[in-house]
Amino acid sequence: MTEGKSALVLIHPAVTTTPEKVIKVAQEAASEGVNVEDQFLINKLNDESATLAKGKYDVIYYITPESAEEIKFPSKLVPVIADSLKDGGLFFGLSDVYKVDALINGFDISRDKERYVWKKNSTNLSQGPAVIPLKARNKNSAPKNLPRFKKSPSAKLPVFKRKSEEPVKIARHIDDLDDDSDEEAQQFKAQFLKNLEVADELIEEEELITKNDQENDGITMITCKMTKTKRKKACKDCTCGLKEQEENEVEAVRKKQDTVVKLTDEDLTEIDFTIQGKRIGGCGSCSLGDAFRCSGCPYLGLPAFKPGQPINLNSIMDDL
Amino acid sequence: MTQTKASKRIAILYGSETGNAHDFASILSYKLRRLHFAHTLSTIGNYSPSHILNCKYLFVICSTTGQGEIPRNGQERSDGTRNNTLWSFLKRKDLPEDFLSHVHVSFLGLGDSSYPKFNYAIKKLHERIVNQLGAKELFARLEADEQCLIGSNKGTGAGIEAVYFEFEKKTLKYLCDTFSLRKLNGELVKRQGISTDLYLEPISSLKKSDETENMIHNTEPPRFLGDDNVKIGTVLNNKRITAEPHFQDVRQFVFKGIEHEEYYPGDTISMYPCNSDEAVNQFLSLQPHWSNVADMPLEFNHGIPPDLMDGGLIGKLTLRGLLKYHCDIESIPRASFFMKIWTFATEIDKLERGREQLEQQREKLRQFAYDEDMQDLFDYCNRPRRSILEVIEDFGSLKLPWEHMTDYLPIIKPRYFSISSAPCDPNIELTIAIVKYKTILRRIRKGVCTEYVSKLAIGDSFRYKVQNKGTFHHNLKKKSMILVSPGVGIAPMMCLIRSNICKDISLFFGNRYKEHDFLYESTLREWHNDKKISLYTCFSRDKENSSDIKYVQDNLWKFGEEMTRKILNNEALIFICGSSGKMPIQVRLTFVEMLKKWGNFEEDEQAADYLRQMEKNYRYLQETW
Repeated sequence: MTEGKSALVLIHPAVTTTPEKVIKVAQEAASEGVNVEDQFLINKLNDESATLAKGKYDVIYYITPESAEEIKFPSKLVPVIADSLKDGGLFFGLSDVYKVDALINGFDISRDKERYVWKKNSTNLSQGPAVIPLKARNKNSAPKNLPRFKKSPSAKLPVFKRKSEEPVKIARHIDDLDDDSDEEAQQFKAQFLKNLEVADELIEEEELITKNDQENDGITMITCKMTKTKRKKACKDCTCGLKEQEENEVEAVRKKQDTVVKLTDEDLTEIDFTIQGKRIGGCGSCSLGDAFRCSGCPYLGLPAFKPGQPINLNSIMDDL
Repeated sequence: MTQTKASKRIAILYGSETGNAHDFASILSYKLRRLHFAHTLSTIGNYSPSHILNCKYLFVICSTTGQGEIPRNGQERSDGTRNNTLWSFLKRKDLPEDFLSHVHVSFLGLGDSSYPKFNYAIKKLHERIVNQLGAKELFARLEADEQCLIGSNKGTGAGIEAVYFEFEKKTLKYLCDTFSLRKLNGELVKRQGISTDLYLEPISSLKKSDETENMIHNTEPPRFLGDDNVKIGTVLNNKRITAEPHFQDVRQFVFKGIEHEEYYPGDTISMYPCNSDEAVNQFLSLQPHWSNVADMPLEFNHGIPPDLMDGGLIGKLTLRGLLKYHCDIESIPRASFFMKIWTFATEIDKLERGREQLEQQREKLRQFAYDEDMQDLFDYCNRPRRSILEVIEDFGSLKLPWEHMTDYLPIIKPRYFSISSAPCDPNIELTIAIVKYKTILRRIRKGVCTEYVSKLAIGDSFRYKVQNKGTFHHNLKKKSMILVSPGVGIAPMMCLIRSNICKDISLFFGNRYKEHDFLYESTLREWHNDKKISLYTCFSRDKENSSDIKYVQDNLWKFGEEMTRKILNNEALIFICGSSGKMPIQVRLTFVEMLKKWGNFEEDEQAADYLRQMEKNYRYLQETW
């Protein structure tokens, strides 16, 4: 700990690819006698995997590559940031886009050495009603299109547990993770692993299923961008006709195959290249295999082949 | 693999029954390796509880088995022991609520919503690890549904693979955002994935054995080493029990183990199938540079890959042996297969149109590997059920290096069959439907394992294990049982009835035609006449013998009043077994309607609640596949 001012740096995930920006901010802070004590990815705060101590910092910097007008920031974190600042503390990095949030949460917006900054009021606003222009309050001001900021899956309020508070740093590489484990806590936890042989009381597995779990909530839904068409597959005991439709399609393709596959005298199979126009279709892809054939190709369902050579007999013979 | 401290920081743990969770965990592990993330990959059962203290990032992929349980390899080690596993440890009551506060975790559950206890295993793990022990979730869990009806892929028509990809995307993004730099020779460098056109060498590869230059010729039956739990069975009978003209071949398959086996109703046998010699030879002919090494003794340069140990590794290691007994060359390839092999499409000579066609093949393989829209892969492989062998045949430019075969070829997994014989009968009987169907591919599709089973003759031997599932552990004495089992679902019912644990059994059995596929007809009729069971039959395609009743649920409804009485007054147990999909859902809906009509339940919700309560008390059991 130094005698100087204490600072926190919050980082937009996209900045992690340009660590020099972070270093620059830290250097500038140092030149003003401010010491960067903690550094968090903003999404860690947002998903509550990192928590902030109250009234700890003199200055908080938010580093983002976004332009001032286009900043997307989770509004719910503004009060969290306000809480973690000392009275009169400074918050750099947001813009007037979040003006209302600033005012609600007891910030004054001002310029400090020609820089745009929010300053935490020294009077505690939460004791009196804040006067804010209601018009400007947009109910849907929660940021959209920001996939990194996931809503917390649990409906729980943020809990600031001392015990689980670990300084989460931007690890420069995986080994950095070794440094930040809380030795004391780990030693405490290790006790439980010492007497593995002792038969302890176990929780009832059935009780782990709560009523909520039977509903379909609190899970991530896939954003399915990939299906051009629904991959509907007939059920095994299909009654809706889909199965017949599938079977008909299969039969139609197999019928077409019959026009190009024939049994020879020796009961062997070969592609009949004598059929006019079938040797290589107009598309020129018949011989290349199903991955390249057209949807109506009579060779569909047969292996790739070299024109003029019999098709690989082993692969289809046993079922003809 | 040696574990460094760093590799414990990230762990991928999986609990897998049929192998999907295992596959996905392996793919995630492979992706992490391509991004230079050291990590641990393990079943939940094999993971040492003490490692959890060093774990910071935990990725859990788990399916659900039996009656809402964590799969066997999630609960026990490979050697079958269950004490002091991670899960038994985490269930200890004395753990403090912040015990896992140092762990960041995310979950992917694989399930099937035709089971009432859909994705219960992942829900249990989630509740304990996050809500009770304080681990932090990186993002809300994903729950995949085979049926696409609920869970993360609800209504999208996208399969469980799409749900896995979402999980993977979120996971990789998080890790790459958080650890954007890595150390290389002491220098910090930007973390970048290995270029997609480079093949990532596996941890262990094959090489010619130094010991001997002799070719190995098959003179004696192969031996399998390294798995003490695998047993050798000898076939006593393998008889078709459906009429010859009927399309489906169902076998009564009886075998004997060397030792006495202990098993009870609901227990299963896992069988380790192998490929046919034809398939192996075809593979070798498609990769001619393998042929002259096919019978040479080989060894692994950095130890045996753990995935090869289940069921034991063939004693004499050769390419031919691995292709026959271990590599699943007749399975349908996943995107990850293409990811690994596309760079081996290098041979121009085999192509009629030279370089142009080579580029075309490379591009197509690459597209199957990396296209986010998996429609093309689906249409080419999944829909027609195309095998890896057929893909290799179609893509003549593929010249595969045999040294890494166990990396890019999937490993054959065991298949599970319910036991039909009386508990602990040394002659173990299975009822197996031989899988065969048509797609647009000229060649008839066959199930790898059932094809293998269909060819086993009396006296042949094969590898198996017994799974004791404890299905009826909670129900030793029940006054009444209602068994619902269309088709091959009859298999475990035979064992249950033979166990004589219940005096009042109502069996609802259904098939297509009375004359063709009435499985175990004489035995069932005999039991019915002797009042051992009450048999209710129906035949869905047989107007003559089953005019008013089509499906088992119709029959249940017909006798609904009596059955409802058994459920409510006798605390009857319900056991449903058979094909998954609509059957178990329809049957469940029928029970709801019965409870409403004859059981004084006014609303759907009350009746459904009653069934849920039955499930909780192990009175409503389901085994479907």
